[in-house]
Amino acid sequence: MSHFLDRLKFFEKIKETFSNNHGIVTNEDRQWEDAYRNRWAHDKVVRSTHGVNCTGGCSWKIFVKNGLVAFEMQQTDYPRTREDLPDHEPRGCQRGASFSWYLYSPQRIKYPLIRGRLLNLYRAERKSGKDPVEAWAAIQADENKRKQYTAVRGLGGFVRANWEEVKEIVAAANVYTIKKYGPDRIFGFSPIPAMSQISYASGARYLSLIGGACGSFYDWYCDLPAASPQTWGEQTDVPESADWYNSTYIIVCGSSLPTTRTPDAHFVSEVRYKGAKVISMAPDYAEYCKASDLWMPVNPGSDTAAFLAMGHVALKEFYIDKQDPYFSEYARKYTDLPIQVMLRKHGDGYVSDRCLRASDLDGALGETNNPDWKTIVFDEKSKSFVVPNGSIGFRWGEEGKWNLLPKNAASQQEITAELSCIDSKDAVASVGFPHFEPGEGDLLYRNVPVRKLKLANGEEALVASVFDMQVAQYGIDRGLGGGNVTTNYKDANVAYTPAWAEKVTGVKAADIERTGREFAYNASKTHGKSMVIMGAAINHWYHNDMMYRGVMNLLHICGCVGQSGGGWAHYVGQEKLRPQAGWAPIAFALDWQRPPRHMNSTSFWYFHTDQWRYETLRGDDLTSPAGKGKYKGYSIADYNVAAVRMGWLPSAPHWNTNPLDLVSEAEKSGATDEAGIAQHVIGKLKDGSLDVAFADPDNPVNWPRNLFVWRANLIGSSSKGHEYFLKHLLGTQNGVLQESGAGSVNKLIKWHDEAPIGKLDLMVDINFRLNSTGAYSDIVLPTATWYEKNDLNTTDMHPFMHPLSEAVSPGWQSKSDWQIFKSLAETFSKLAEKHLGTRKDIVALPMQHDSPFEMAQPFGEVKDWKNGECDPVPGKTMPLLKVVERNFADTYKKYIAIGPLMTKIGNNVKGLDWNTEMEYDQLKVMNGTVKVPGVSFGMPSLEEDIKVCDSVLRMAPETCGEVAHKAWSALSKKTGIDHHHLYSARHEDKITFADIQVQPRKIITAPTWSGIESETVSYTSCYTNIHEHIPFRTLTGRAHFYQDHEWMLDFGEGFCVHKPPQNMHSFDKLSPSILAEKHIKLKWITPHSKWGIHSTYQDNLRMLTLFRGGPYVWISEADAKAAGIEDNDWVEAINHNGATVARAVVSQRISRGVAMMYHAQEKIVNVPGSNATGKRGGILNSVTRVVMKPTNMIGGYVQLAYSFNYYGTVGSNRDTEVIMRKVADKDIDWLERPLTPEREAQLNPPGIGKR
Amino acid sequence: MNEDIFTWNNLLFGIYPYVCLSVFVIGSWLRFDREQYGWTSASSQLLSTAGMRWASNLFHIGVLAIFGGHFLGLLTPHSVFLMVMGDIQHQYMAIVLGSFFGVMALIGGGNLLIRRFSNRRVSVTSRASDKFVLGWIMATLILGLTTIPVSIGHAGHGDPRVVTAMAEWIQSIMYLYPNPAYLEGVDTIFKLHVFFGMTVFLIFPFTRLVHVWSAPFGYLARSYQIVRSKKLKYQSR
Repeated sequence: MSHFLDRLKFFEKIKETFSNNHGIVTNEDRQWEDAYRNRWAHDKVVRSTHGVNCTGGCSWKIFVKNGLVAFEMQQTDYPRTREDLPDHEPRGCQRGASFSWYLYSPQRIKYPLIRGRLLNLYRAERKSGKDPVEAWAAIQADENKRKQYTAVRGLGGFVRANWEEVKEIVAAANVYTIKKYGPDRIFGFSPIPAMSQISYASGARYLSLIGGACGSFYDWYCDLPAASPQTWGEQTDVPESADWYNSTYIIVCGSSLPTTRTPDAHFVSEVRYKGAKVISMAPDYAEYCKASDLWMPVNPGSDTAAFLAMGHVALKEFYIDKQDPYFSEYARKYTDLPIQVMLRKHGDGYVSDRCLRASDLDGALGETNNPDWKTIVFDEKSKSFVVPNGSIGFRWGEEGKWNLLPKNAASQQEITAELSCIDSKDAVASVGFPHFEPGEGDLLYRNVPVRKLKLANGEEALVASVFDMQVAQYGIDRGLGGGNVTTNYKDANVAYTPAWAEKVTGVKAADIERTGREFAYNASKTHGKSMVIMGAAINHWYHNDMMYRGVMNLLHICGCVGQSGGGWAHYVGQEKLRPQAGWAPIAFALDWQRPPRHMNSTSFWYFHTDQWRYETLRGDDLTSPAGKGKYKGYSIADYNVAAVRMGWLPSAPHWNTNPLDLVSEAEKSGATDEAGIAQHVIGKLKDGSLDVAFADPDNPVNWPRNLFVWRANLIGSSSKGHEYFLKHLLGTQNGVLQESGAGSVNKLIKWHDEAPIGKLDLMVDINFRLNSTGAYSDIVLPTATWYEKNDLNTTDMHPFMHPLSEAVSPGWQSKSDWQIFKSLAETFSKLAEKHLGTRKDIVALPMQHDSPFEMAQPFGEVKDWKNGECDPVPGKTMPLLKVVERNFADTYKKYIAIGPLMTKIGNNVKGLDWNTEMEYDQLKVMNGTVKVPGVSFGMPSLEEDIKVCDSVLRMAPETCGEVAHKAWSALSKKTGIDHHHLYSARHEDKITFADIQVQPRKIITAPTWSGIESETVSYTSCYTNIHEHIPFRTLTGRAHFYQDHEWMLDFGEGFCVHKPPQNMHSFDKLSPSILAEKHIKLKWITPHSKWGIHSTYQDNLRMLTLFRGGPYVWISEADAKAAGIEDNDWVEAINHNGATVARAVVSQRISRGVAMMYHAQEKIVNVPGSNATGKRGGILNSVTRVVMKPTNMIGGYVQLAYSFNYYGTVGSNRDTEVIMRKVADKDIDWLERPLTPEREAQLNPPGIGKR
Repeated sequence: MNEDIFTWNNLLFGIYPYVCLSVFVIGSWLRFDREQYGWTSASSQLLSTAGMRWASNLFHIGVLAIFGGHFLGLLTPHSVFLMVMGDIQHQYMAIVLGSFFGVMALIGGGNLLIRRFSNRRVSVTSRASDKFVLGWIMATLILGLTTIPVSIGHAGHGDPRVVTAMAEWIQSIMYLYPNPAYLEGVDTIFKLHVFFGMTVFLIFPFTRLVHVWSAPFGYLARSYQIVRSKKLKYQSR
């Protein structure tokens, strides 16, 4: 009862003794033990997970005590796998377990915040009697008022605001922007829907309803492997981690499994016990290297060469020296190796050109539907050229022959596609292959066996199979004479031999040769159970598609893709949005109006942050002499402008006019329908009175005006070219250490000498933690954490649906994202009623992949209407022009209900359509209907988060068996093959939100994906392409070694080639005084860290405690010594993009010449000022600038066609170099001084002017 | 009623001692019962060990010895004392031992005080009470040391009256028969020291000083293994 009274019984404490008085038994008070019991006591346990773009996607128990989250722990109730497969559990790592810190941390955003100066301005305008929109307009009209708050972004100055007032300001800004500039000047950035699907959908739905543009993220993060669509017409379908256990030979490169795939890494450990060999390739002794049988240290950025050399060995030993029956059958049926390619005269010899088509041949070989889009093989059985089933021409306009069965399409007779004509060749041609290794020649001629062929137009053509050219390109001597080939692996002068690769990569030739041989041997014995696990570390290079195609070539040579335990395993983030088909209509408001505005973010930021003004990379430096070279002199930005004009890439804004005004104008001049309005637009484009916005991105008319960022850390982490964001987009303190000018060499873009400063009128960040992005925003809205909202979560790594659940109600004044945008829509609707009313909008839609428009531009020939090479025809030579009517005042009512198009048009995914009437009716009952009178009265309600979750689940084939049935039926019709057995056991299954809160639920096999859920195999990509004969969604319907688009050939990427890292000329414009100081030049590598990004954030105190508690850069011992740097010294990394300051970690594990700064270290934690810039030290991206690749802009050409997060420019930033120097402790300036008018005015580093 | 009863002298040396002692005893009890988690020495040795071995030991030995000296010297009844030694002897002994241990505590405590304020880690992790209590003890100590020259002067004249009066006064307090009149003629410096000393008891329960109650003497004779018996009320949980 009383501790004190208990003490008074001191002398009778001992009750008995034991062990010769060595031990005593006491009757002391034991109440203190309750403290430990209470530490783990709880009132309830709720299942949730973490929406942090973590591939783990682990199920967690959230323990709630007294209405607060006390702690979290791994769930262990996953459904079993199979008898021979280890369990998924335990899933969840130390980062996940540290999340609960955020809920009650100082980082938590508790109330709406607004920049104080903006609030004062707004209140003053409102006080003078203006309504909200007029008040906003008044602030924007006055340059000085605007500058008051834009120029101090990132410098603090937030005040607490109330919800009603900030909502009003945001809505007013939106209304004003729509009215004055157009809805396409409102931009939203939010990444990775899979991590919190409803949250993503909230903002995207709001923006789509008001006509704003949603930016892509996968390409911008440079996680999107462009090679995946190029090769398969599919983006990032990858095996679940359990499939690693089915492999028997694994190469890991660029993906550190224990570090970034922690909950899945056990499958690799386990399969090693089963006997699998694991090879690692990495420039540093990364964590995964120690768990492998061999570490191949590779020069950064040279991985392509290593994989091509392995391909050289595999090809020579399993196709040329002897023919492996499994490999050659696989190659004939599922790859483009037998496809016939035309040769084009070039110099003394030839170069490869486009694929031969049915329409090239007499009578189109009987094909009347899309003969331009049907490719040709040589049939060994009939000894003739035939059109095989499965090419893209069969996908659209006819049914039943779009499959990979080895059949002659005309007769449906069985064929054997010939790989090589070497034994029945008509001639041997000398074919030039582009080459990019400096000093070895830019076109290497090699002899190739060819056939001669008379074309329909009477000309004689030389054709060769992709196989015969690919063998030559690998430098393998087949006894045809000629140069640049060899039979000797040790010949270092012939490109792609192991000895040559050793020269380039630094990896021992013997290791490359052995690994290549073993990889192929294993695949031959196991029918494809050789696997390559890869990731961001190699995908962030400028020529990432070459690196990946190098890997894919090896995998296809060895028949691994589509086989359980084999193929590519590319992991970067939480890409797998499993119930995509059910989610997309809600996310992009397709239930109310189509199409939405999508934008590829890389191009968006490249132009709008004015990084193009600083471009040092020249298009002409990248091209090959083998190309047609029609676009000589084009800058990288020019290529993008051309791509937008031709309908390849989207653009936001579309044009230098408000699209609403454009329609009004068209209607005034007599247009009555969509076609008429389109004609008006085309007329204006033709006469030049209208042009794409990117042709003059610095004109204020073309600036983006409002930016929403939610679920993202755009500024603090993914702003490649961070300082350019600060300088031009935000118009605030920045560290750009050069003036623009390098990018003035353009053909299509207007140059303004003075660079724009501060394009955004308003930046809104929605977050639960105040990170570097919030710090730069004008308004910060508090959102619910992952333990405070109901949402959905899926991942690549396992096939289960997970919920995020509201374990506790949202803290302080926070609300879930769905509720935030819902209430914003309500405020917007009220203001819009007066200022906007109902307007017609015109959306420019690129020719999209998986739509008939992917066949817009035959033969991959580039024709630009602007140059008079063709007429501008929507959907053919320019974007489709779609008119969308928007009653802006109905935005809220539409937001809260599933709209009528779901029953009128139905749903679709990846080119398959089905009707959703049954699900729509079920949702009316499940969710209840909207009771608010108006446009959505009586429709299924989306008012609460759980209702949205259930709607997604009900409309997706992955979570509703009936929908799977409808989708598979649609596909079966297209392929002419019955696929219903894939899901039939689960036809009646319906997964609901309540179900997944009880236990993780495995998804149902759906045609959205190329893998299956089954009792016999693990989920792996391209499984149905191989085992169900569903074509790859490419030109040939097969996996592509060869790309025949004109721009691909211009840039020498018809076949995969090794391209060394690009020289970004990062120091050319740096002040000589910086270069004069003691420093060292290093490559700038930015991998994913152990204690941050993808699983938690770096500012988590628990994680910060585990390392240096602030930003750090890893460098090698030798480099550190050379620069006089010791471990834990402050160092500064500098180039003309800016500077960043961190502590040095000096380690043996880093190879010479490299600085590794882990991704996403927050600018707000322990970052001092930089002496070079005089500004805050920066982030990893302060020294980078994004560079785009023209080949990624190609569109309208089957697999090379734009689709959101499928294809497009990627935000590559890895080919960066920095100089690194020590900063003495005494020289560290924390910049902790008051903001003076002088300091406020000095936006740029000293000496940098207005250009 | 005698108006003279409400004098400063009565208040400070007749009433205040009981306030201090009451707070000291009841406060300690309450804190021990209610604030077990705060019952700590709040040692900062983990944060910084530099010089701690010397400073802390000098301080603790010095202060404990002085406390012991005061306890024996002032609370032993006069009659018992005279059986052992004379008043002047007593006073000289107090002067010598007090000076020795006082200087010891001064050096140690001075170092601790400097460390408490100037060592950044220690300083920022200190509670206000930690800094205050150390400062207060040091002030009491310095006042105590300042009485020594006065005391030497008294002893030099063979005059033990002050020491005797102080002892009688404390004993009157202890016998619950307070007689503050004993201190009426005493030098101000002694009064100040007494006031500071009493206040140490007043603030005692609110500070880290409570660790004095829990000095771990038990460890000197601790069994190798201690097993706590289960009690029924805990079994039923």
